[in-house]
Amino acid sequence: MKLDNNYYVCTGCALLCDDIAVELEGGKLTKVHTACRKGFAFMKGCSSPMECTVDGKKTDLGSAISEAAGILRNAERPLIFGHANSSSGAQKKAIGIARKTNGYIDDTSSFCQGPMVEAIMEGRLKTCTLDDVRHKADVIIYWGADPANSHPRHMSRYSYFPRGKERQKGWEEDRTAITIDVRKSDTAEICGENGLYQIPVKGDAEFMDALVSALSGKIPKTSYDFDKKRVLELASILKKAKFGVIFAGLGMVYALDDREPLYRLMDKLNSVSSFHLIPMAGHYNMRGFNENLFEETGYINRVKFNGTEVLHGPEYSVIEALRQKAVDAALVIGADPSSSLPRSVVRYLEEIPLIVIDPCQTLTSLKANVTIPCGLVGVETGGSAIRMDGVEVELKQITDTDRLSDEEIMTRISEAL
Amino acid sequence: MGFGQFLSAPEAKLRIVTYRDIFQDSAKVSSLFGEDYEKLSAVIRLDPKDISKLAIKEGDTLLLKNALGKVVVKALSSGYEKPHSGTAYMVNSPWSNALVPEDTGGTGVPEFKDFEVLASSAKGAKITGIREII
Repeated sequence: MKLDNNYYVCTGCALLCDDIAVELEGGKLTKVHTACRKGFAFMKGCSSPMECTVDGKKTDLGSAISEAAGILRNAERPLIFGHANSSSGAQKKAIGIARKTNGYIDDTSSFCQGPMVEAIMEGRLKTCTLDDVRHKADVIIYWGADPANSHPRHMSRYSYFPRGKERQKGWEEDRTAITIDVRKSDTAEICGENGLYQIPVKGDAEFMDALVSALSGKIPKTSYDFDKKRVLELASILKKAKFGVIFAGLGMVYALDDREPLYRLMDKLNSVSSFHLIPMAGHYNMRGFNENLFEETGYINRVKFNGTEVLHGPEYSVIEALRQKAVDAALVIGADPSSSLPRSVVRYLEEIPLIVIDPCQTLTSLKANVTIPCGLVGVETGGSAIRMDGVEVELKQITDTDRLSDEEIMTRISEAL
Repeated sequence: MGFGQFLSAPEAKLRIVTYRDIFQDSAKVSSLFGEDYEKLSAVIRLDPKDISKLAIKEGDTLLLKNALGKVVVKALSSGYEKPHSGTAYMVNSPWSNALVPEDTGGTGVPEFKDFEVLASSAKGAKITGIREII
């Protein structure tokens, strides 16, 4: 047994914690130190690894790749979906395959943090890095976010508990944490007795406008009659912030019909103090896909290639493409739509030829015509990924595997096309 | 055969809000098809008033249905101090997604965190298994 003194990166979520120590025995991972419960589960690998199959029968890799290429070649409008749990290298290959096949390409951000990432990449929302938060942030808002459950090391590593360069007195004196949510989450418990602002479901836009009023010296009103005194108190805390940050969770993203109320709030906050926003991306490389597709097409998701033309819009989203039965084959990599999408939407995947590439069996793979196992990125294979705050992180291989990396599989499919 | 069987089980319309849970999420990563993941996913957390209204006890099974589908899950009390009768909480999972409406109003984003179901007692019924959902 030897303690490996190199630090590795956990690909369990988009925090991409880069302080993971491991113990190896005979080239196998035996212990994972520092990672959270979810990270540890992710790194030790799943109990049901994927097998190489065509039509439910085990086969060799070459045959599966050839079958997958055949499906894509014969399709007129294939969907290439997933990517949030894929390396950046595999994502770039996927974009190439979508272009080559005149396909639809979309990722989980399409029904997740897409609107926030898009606004940041278009320069409409001021952002910062998690390292800035650790060293400078004095007012931290978890809005519709519950990192205690979704990103377990978020508060301890970056946003609340650390003693950063300019926050040496830590959470006890130097930081104020606030939760704005529809329920008393575990994160809200940590924020303390007065740290929770509990609003009704879909009450977010009104609460944002009430805060803008309070920050402008006006009486903050909401149709649900939120305690005006508390809104004024909150506005006062925000006004005094030297370095504020809003962590936007899915609770906020889903509650807003459009981003205008958020823009109004962020503009107001930045006229009286300094506030940043970081989207709480879940999967480890969702942000990477957004940046890679943006670089190629100018859009972060929901794209269809049509010769040299690039089409973009909600009609090219995975949800609408499946609902409208607009696609005639699908390749799913680094995602499990049968787990994460409405059942009524994903049922259509069973009607079309389906390819799944993943280290583990998934609900989607149970219905696939072709399944191709890949190495677990960050453990069995290396690569790179982009953290939730836009910082690129190198991923090192820890253990050996006889499985190809996700990037190599996508390269071979692309070549076979 | 008792008189009770001729009475229909009380029903309650519930607004479902979904959330994340680290224990359930880790169980999924470890074994999507395992018992732990089902145990931590196929659950609805209710206000005590709704538990009374549905004439069930904590730990009983509850049938949740709407136009999209139906699932049987375990009913638990939410434990929240603030009353929330009419609103119940489910951890995000294939069980909740079986009931999420597909209509997105053209936005491409379903209402994962805010949808309605009709709940009624399913006492004695088995919790819907993950392979029965797909």
